[in-house]
Amino acid sequence: MTAALAEKDSVAAPPPATGAPAPPGRGTRTRRFRRERAFDDVPRWQIYLPLTLYLLFTLVPFYWMLLFALRPAGSTALVPWPLTGEHFGKVWHERSFGMFFQNSMTVGVATLVMTTGIALAGGYALARFEFRIKNAFMLALLCSQFIPGALMLVPLFEIFRNLQLINSLGSVIIAETVFQLPLSIILISGFIKNVPVSLEEAAWVDGCSRFRAFCAVVLPLLRPGLIAVGSFAFVHSWNHFLFALMFLSEQDKQTIPVGLNTLIGADSVDLGALAAGGVIAAVPVVIVFAFIQKWLITGFSAGAVKG
Amino acid sequence: MTHTEREEQHMRTSTGRRRGRTAAAAVMAGVLALTAAACGDDGSGSTGDEGSGKGEITFWDNNGGPRTAVWKEIIEDFEAANKDIEVTYVPIPITDVQSKYDTAIAGGGLPDVGGVGTAYLAGIVAQNALEPVGERIGDSALKGRLVESMVEGVKAAGGRGDEMYAVPTSANNGTLWYRTDLFEAAGLAAPTTWDAFYTAAGKLTDAEKNAFGYTIRGGAGSVAQALDAMYGQSGITAFWKGDRTTVNDPANVAALEKYVRLYKKATPEADVNNDFAKMVAQWDSGTIGMLSHNLGSYQDHVKALGEEKFAGIPNPTGPGGVRVQVSNPVDGLGLFKASRNKAAAWKFIEFAASHASNSKWNEAAGAIPANTEAAKDAWINESEPTKLAARSLTDGSTKIVQLPYYLPDWNSVTKADNEPEFQKVLLGRTTPKAFLDQLADDLNEAQAEWKQQNK
Repeated sequence: MTAALAEKDSVAAPPPATGAPAPPGRGTRTRRFRRERAFDDVPRWQIYLPLTLYLLFTLVPFYWMLLFALRPAGSTALVPWPLTGEHFGKVWHERSFGMFFQNSMTVGVATLVMTTGIALAGGYALARFEFRIKNAFMLALLCSQFIPGALMLVPLFEIFRNLQLINSLGSVIIAETVFQLPLSIILISGFIKNVPVSLEEAAWVDGCSRFRAFCAVVLPLLRPGLIAVGSFAFVHSWNHFLFALMFLSEQDKQTIPVGLNTLIGADSVDLGALAAGGVIAAVPVVIVFAFIQKWLITGFSAGAVKG
Repeated sequence: MTHTEREEQHMRTSTGRRRGRTAAAAVMAGVLALTAAACGDDGSGSTGDEGSGKGEITFWDNNGGPRTAVWKEIIEDFEAANKDIEVTYVPIPITDVQSKYDTAIAGGGLPDVGGVGTAYLAGIVAQNALEPVGERIGDSALKGRLVESMVEGVKAAGGRGDEMYAVPTSANNGTLWYRTDLFEAAGLAAPTTWDAFYTAAGKLTDAEKNAFGYTIRGGAGSVAQALDAMYGQSGITAFWKGDRTTVNDPANVAALEKYVRLYKKATPEADVNNDFAKMVAQWDSGTIGMLSHNLGSYQDHVKALGEEKFAGIPNPTGPGGVRVQVSNPVDGLGLFKASRNKAAAWKFIEFAASHASNSKWNEAAGAIPANTEAAKDAWINESEPTKLAARSLTDGSTKIVQLPYYLPDWNSVTKADNEPEFQKVLLGRTTPKAFLDQLADDLNEAQAEWKQQNK
């Protein structure tokens, strides 16, 4: 490890990470009991009615999208019957959504891998080492969140053009990774801070190198954090429109958000095709969130707040 | 820590610092090199090259998606006729074409040929990115074969006097679509005059049954449609009177007052947020008597209603039976200055604007061809709305109010600045007169600035 970095001297009193909380005393138990009683006394409808209204508010646009995607063109029925797959067939084959999907998946997965990998290294350095410009660096990371992507468009375009990366998925992957990294590094460093240094030290004593100790001891404990950061990187790059529009030109390189926009013409909109494209675009995001929601909540409660 | 360990650590620290400084210097040098290299070639003002007339050219379609199929067909025809030229087709979504051009002008990477509409032509011309094409047209087979009103529209929109910066390929026309089934059931004749329009709007409205006479555009694009309705009713045929705009002329104010009174009385309340997509979808799926939109939505109406239930006519006539309408944007093809193969690029433009290709494209798009021979083709007469629109544009019966698309501020004034104000008019939070006075002030200021810059 470089000598310019002095190890953080926090071995003596590591903060508790994901360890069990202290056993609750009598007062705590009483308070919790009272809270639970108070919750039980609330009539069920006062819980379910607002939740139902909120769900309706959230789900109606999705229903509308499915309705337009699944009912035949020209139908004004409020239920998608008879069902038709014509719009899906049209966007997938005629409007090249199959190709856009593949490109978006490449960008999403590559951004996820690069963001998570680099954020792990950066986050570890911030969490475990003290160095001279650490606070300024953290401040710079935070400040970079205030810069909108559109502002960087022309400089990035020029740089990628000189690197011959225009019209290559690489340009979008790099740009997405760069814009995701600051927040990801901050989040990961928060997660790593919550893992006691003593665990790593125990591994060093057993003969592990720092890297081996990190992989064997720290990494498994970071799973919720990695899933949170990785999923956000994937979903953000999956949905991002601007970089793909500006850096990619040829049709066989374009991504789903750009493809969706090409379904809106100057004077006419094929609503069925647009809705079917919207469903195709939403499916991976819904699947990602369905599988990771447990980890996501654990991840944010364990890392982001305390970070 | 022993003395030796401290010394070792000191050495490691010094070496690390040296390495750090070297790395930082290398990164800085890299960034500077990239920045310096980036300054070398942008899209604006670059003179490009005539090239050999062979090889590859890139074409940006400014309405990518809906027109992709027909463009690919035309490109295939072109490549078959010019075996030594290969065209790379790039579809750009219409909603973002202006920002895509602006970024490419600033950062480089413009195409050889690009689709450009008169609504944003001035901005590209002002950045010195387009090649004048007047001389090339004069030397080509297109000479004398382009619809004069469209040529004038392109010249005016370029804002550089008589010079042309795009070859017109098509135009659209404001159309009043009406439901023939509802009109027949109510015993109404086609709304060919503004009086008939207002009568029909009232008679066809039955809010309890969710039936309305008209759908008004209150969201994106509302100002252009309001201008069309105002000038159509007032009969004023010029946008400028000296250096002042006529938009707040008392006759236009009265016309707008009458027009916005339709809101909620004869239109759905949700119209305040209508952009063209919502407006068309609402008309296609609801019970609404009339809709003002251009020819471009014809296929949507056919899909939703079938050919029997609706018809489209040019805007109603006003005082003295004269039809006045505002100019609709003309679409065209621009040759970019930065092109390194202008000869091949021009061949492509010439081919795309020729009789056969222009006819094919406009038939697919349901628009009016810019090529005079294509405008006489049989398919135009097969679609009644297109036939009537083409006739109204070419037989001299319609007075066109040329909107000042050449003003670089035109889009910001009529969209970002004043569309929310028009919504306030609909909602009764401001008066039509106050709205038009504000719009007039903005336009007069933009015109004065433009004149100052072009002295």
